[in-house]
Amino acid sequence: MTATEQMTAAGKPPQIVEMDWDPITRIIGNLGIYTKIDFANRRVTECHSTSSLFRGYSVFMKGKDPRDAGFITSRICGICGDNHTTCSVYAQNMAYGIANPPMAEWIINLGEAAEYLFDHTIFQDNLVFVDFCEAMVRQTNPGVLARAEATAAPHAGVHGMRTIADIMRALNPFEGALYNEALRVSRITREMFCLMEGRHVHPSTVYPGGVGTMPEPTVFTDYLSRLLEIIDFVKKAVVLNDDLFDFWYDALPGYEEVGRRRVLLGCWGAFQDPSVVDYRYENMTDWGRAMYVTPGIVVDGKLLTTDLVTINLGIRILLGSSFYRDWTNEEPFVERDPLGNPVDIRHPWNQTTFPEPQKRDFGDRYSWVMSPRWLDERSGEHLALDTGGGPFARLYTTALAGLVDTPYVKARDGEVRISLPRGRSLPETELRWSPPAWSNAIERDRARVYFVAYAAAMALHFLEQAMDRMRSGDTRTFTDFEVPDETIGCGFHEAVRGVLSHHMVVRDGKIANYHPYPPTPWNGSPRDSFGTPGPYEDAVQNMPIFEENGPESFKGVDVMRAVRSFDPCLPCGVHMYLGGGRTLRTVHSPMFGASHG
Amino acid sequence: MAPIRVGPPDVSPDAPSHVLGVREGNAVGSYEAQSGHHADGTADARRSTGIRPADRDPLSPAMPNLPPG
Repeated sequence: MTATEQMTAAGKPPQIVEMDWDPITRIIGNLGIYTKIDFANRRVTECHSTSSLFRGYSVFMKGKDPRDAGFITSRICGICGDNHTTCSVYAQNMAYGIANPPMAEWIINLGEAAEYLFDHTIFQDNLVFVDFCEAMVRQTNPGVLARAEATAAPHAGVHGMRTIADIMRALNPFEGALYNEALRVSRITREMFCLMEGRHVHPSTVYPGGVGTMPEPTVFTDYLSRLLEIIDFVKKAVVLNDDLFDFWYDALPGYEEVGRRRVLLGCWGAFQDPSVVDYRYENMTDWGRAMYVTPGIVVDGKLLTTDLVTINLGIRILLGSSFYRDWTNEEPFVERDPLGNPVDIRHPWNQTTFPEPQKRDFGDRYSWVMSPRWLDERSGEHLALDTGGGPFARLYTTALAGLVDTPYVKARDGEVRISLPRGRSLPETELRWSPPAWSNAIERDRARVYFVAYAAAMALHFLEQAMDRMRSGDTRTFTDFEVPDETIGCGFHEAVRGVLSHHMVVRDGKIANYHPYPPTPWNGSPRDSFGTPGPYEDAVQNMPIFEENGPESFKGVDVMRAVRSFDPCLPCGVHMYLGGGRTLRTVHSPMFGASHG
Repeated sequence: MAPIRVGPPDVSPDAPSHVLGVREGNAVGSYEAQSGHHADGTADARRSTGIRPADRDPLSPAMPNLPPG
């Protein structure tokens, strides 16, 4: 494995069983995880991540009116479609040479903040926590549940749950108090979104050049009252998550290895600052750094860059294990970027999609997902970046960059400080997030709830800015424009679960090439042409198994926690298929005389 | 395009979503052409109604003019 260090050799003779989950539940039903698990040594020995669904947006976008791009690409996702619309608007603004008026920018920021609040809450509390709830833990780790019954929750005074087992019971699907409360909150946050972007999840009022939302006092006060209604829920959720995850490390020593991989993180930045952004590629470095979530790339805990131009030029789309024919012999669309830098043929601007459907073969090609990588010029490595489910990378880059400074969120001294105002029942609260020691399943999940607090605090700042503008009588939300015959554009944004880029080439006033790269291709990519596994594969491969069940009643909850910590796109519950498991081989290993098999 | 066998298309992939001659909302000058919207980004009650809009403007010029959508 190239991305993470190899574990030491196993102690007992391996008993390897093939275990597959296809489709993975509680996400869109097209991700399959194929593993080989060594039950004797309780370790995953091999993992392949595969997708059986071909989307083809890059194929059918060709020839379309570029102004439609935001509305079409929104349909890529059923839960973060607005992120695509917003990213497309960013790319189109660059292509048309325009910027949104400041009021429109604040409205989009408010809409996107509500989307993060909504989506992270429903995913964390209603989907991720099913893997941590009492009903699940009773089946997979009864010993942990017994210990949870006897462990007092350190923040019981804030969230009201006396023991860790009480927290787990509150997470039980359909009946748990937190599960139901999260559903109520996700309704309120969705309403907040609709106030700003018209409709969830495919916005009806977000266009290139601005928005159709009318800035009125009631729009903002309706948003504010809803935000303050959920602000105490957010405070409680953060400490509740901390209690649960800290307990997990204590109860299962070594759990930090579940879903662990090298710290290889990418974040493309979110929330534009209207006083800086002009959407010109030439100034992208400056307005990228002014974003309220700082873009950046982190390798082994060190921030490599926060420059969106460097990030853009380093993107490479590799094949290797994907069902596509290579396009390197095609004529490139963009040979140099507007700054004169050469653009690689493997860059999304130059990509041409040639699907080649075929039988799945884990020794050769096995997925419809391509392998996006980021070329580190210094080491020459094609890095398999992950997004840490989104929040992990966003908080990591923002904390290390230290550029964000608003009244409610500040990044300094390598940490992010979030202050939430007094709510109905809880006082003003300051939260701090600093990069943890590992990039693993638990920390990805923990970062998610901290980012909910981040988005809530940022929304307060955006509201204040927008209301100040409104009180001055500024109601302009739209910039008019002409579509040039020949132009290019790129947009960088953060979809809820991580990096999102849209690259567009316009010729004859029509789309000649359009490539959206959402987070799941980065996270769920198969082995690339260099043999580097994608982040899911890398995180699951070689991880220890803590589930107490054997192969007969194996639920694979640790593998599921590792994969779901990346927030693999759409939470769309379909039924779970789990085979009984087929024994491949039981190997007698005389290695080191450790066992007599 | 990819070598996949497909049926005949229902619509030309190049079918424009815009028909020549129809006014485009994004066209330069559209903002100024709309009643009640001012060049400096402010608006007045004419944005919301054509019925005696001046009567619906704020009482005092010091107040922001915030007509309903």
